Amino acid sequence: MSNYIERFSTSERVLHWIVTCSFFTLLLSGLGLFSRLFNGYFALFGDGRNAILVHKIAGIVFFLSSLYMFLSHKKDVATFDDDDKLWISSKGGYLSRDETHFNIGKYNPGQKLFAIFIAVTTLVLGITGLFIWLPTVFPRWIVQLSLMIHGLMFVGAIMFVVVHVYLATIGNPGTIEAMLYGDVRKRWARKHHPKWYKEVTGENP
Amino acid sequence: MAESINQATRKGFLVDTSRCIGCRSCQVACKQWNKLEADKTNNLGTYENPRDLTPALYNRIRFVEGEGANGDVTWQFLNERCMHCGDAGCMKVCPSPGALYRTKDGIVTYNKEKCISCKYCVSACPFNIPRYGMDDKVSKCHLCQSRIEGGMTPACAKACPTGTLKFGKRSDLIATAQAAKKTLYGVDVLNGLGVVYALEGPPEKYGLPASPSIPLSIFLWKDVIKPLGILGFWGSIGAVLLHYVTIGPKKIDAENGEEKEEAGHE
Repeated sequence: MSNYIERFSTSERVLHWIVTCSFFTLLLSGLGLFSRLFNGYFALFGDGRNAILVHKIAGIVFFLSSLYMFLSHKKDVATFDDDDKLWISSKGGYLSRDETHFNIGKYNPGQKLFAIFIAVTTLVLGITGLFIWLPTVFPRWIVQLSLMIHGLMFVGAIMFVVVHVYLATIGNPGTIEAMLYGDVRKRWARKHHPKWYKEVTGENP
Repeated sequence: MAESINQATRKGFLVDTSRCIGCRSCQVACKQWNKLEADKTNNLGTYENPRDLTPALYNRIRFVEGEGANGDVTWQFLNERCMHCGDAGCMKVCPSPGALYRTKDGIVTYNKEKCISCKYCVSACPFNIPRYGMDDKVSKCHLCQSRIEGGMTPACAKACPTGTLKFGKRSDLIATAQAAKKTLYGVDVLNGLGVVYALEGPPEKYGLPASPSIPLSIFLWKDVIKPLGILGFWGSIGAVLLHYVTIGPKKIDAENGEEKEEAGHE
């Protein structure tokens, strides 16, 4: 009997990596636009003009793929049950060295909130990005406000992505396998997502 | 801003609106010296023409039309152009070093070759001056940089027949105008404008903002969100590393009798 169960299908993983790649392309091409301090990052794309072009293309890819990713998982990430509330009240056990057990489904509330946050951020960055793209078409105050909000949401996104990457890699050993080849160890599933494990396998964790 | 400005040697304009007769010699002289194409315009029932700055129109006369005591039309004229702010919003947001820059005379000029067409300067200007043309590059008044460097006055000032446009050392021009009891606009705002006006009424009457400033959202982006964001990024990196070494990861312990084939390396 296999020690592994499937957590993410091939299409889910490919979609996630499209979102990831476009996000980091946006980060690298946008840093020089955020501040002259990061002017050196333009060199990655040749010059500033190219960086803007890459930023626009990657922006469209990220906007569409990120929103699609959220919408296709909306049912799982946008509902919270009583076990989730328990998880939230004890911060998921992340602020203590003690062993903790929560009866969590496929996603824990932290993951759900991150998914919702990224969906909102994608929408806001996309809309403000469009205003910044065409500054002479829209009223000046809208573009001015967009420049500020675009920068603010970028800062929020990058901070949450740092936490996301940490929790998905060294913070929770075994998690990254779900995103690499889709299968996770049963032991990992029983520990982190017992309710989901029972749904999938029918076994009691 | 890091770009310092020497107020003592700074050059600029004093525009005495009381002297202006609306002849628009300044507009024409600018077009001629800078080899700018003519713009197609429409007659909209006013002598003011064109109605706005364009990529090929670096300065123009704004006609302020009013009604006199006995029903006559009154006119006041304002030479509209880049103000060459001491604290310039365009330079604050420009992400391409050397695209918008300040000369040793304190003038805000630009190098089209370095402009990357982001148009941030359009949004950050307190006076809505920069324009983008077919070349998708910034254009605005550069105070005839080449003429100034050659010891001449800008083309507009040279052509002005009434002495409305006076070019020279900014501090001298202001001192003279103040001695003549003129009402000045732009002496101190935005670290002093390079174009100071002597007005005959409130600034709003001329379509000038009473207290011009860099737009609030631009200030928040550059002076609040940027530094706090950089701090926040490194803070979040530090926080997760601290979490790793203090509280530690959620390890999966081996359970009795299960997954024997993996027990060896867990």
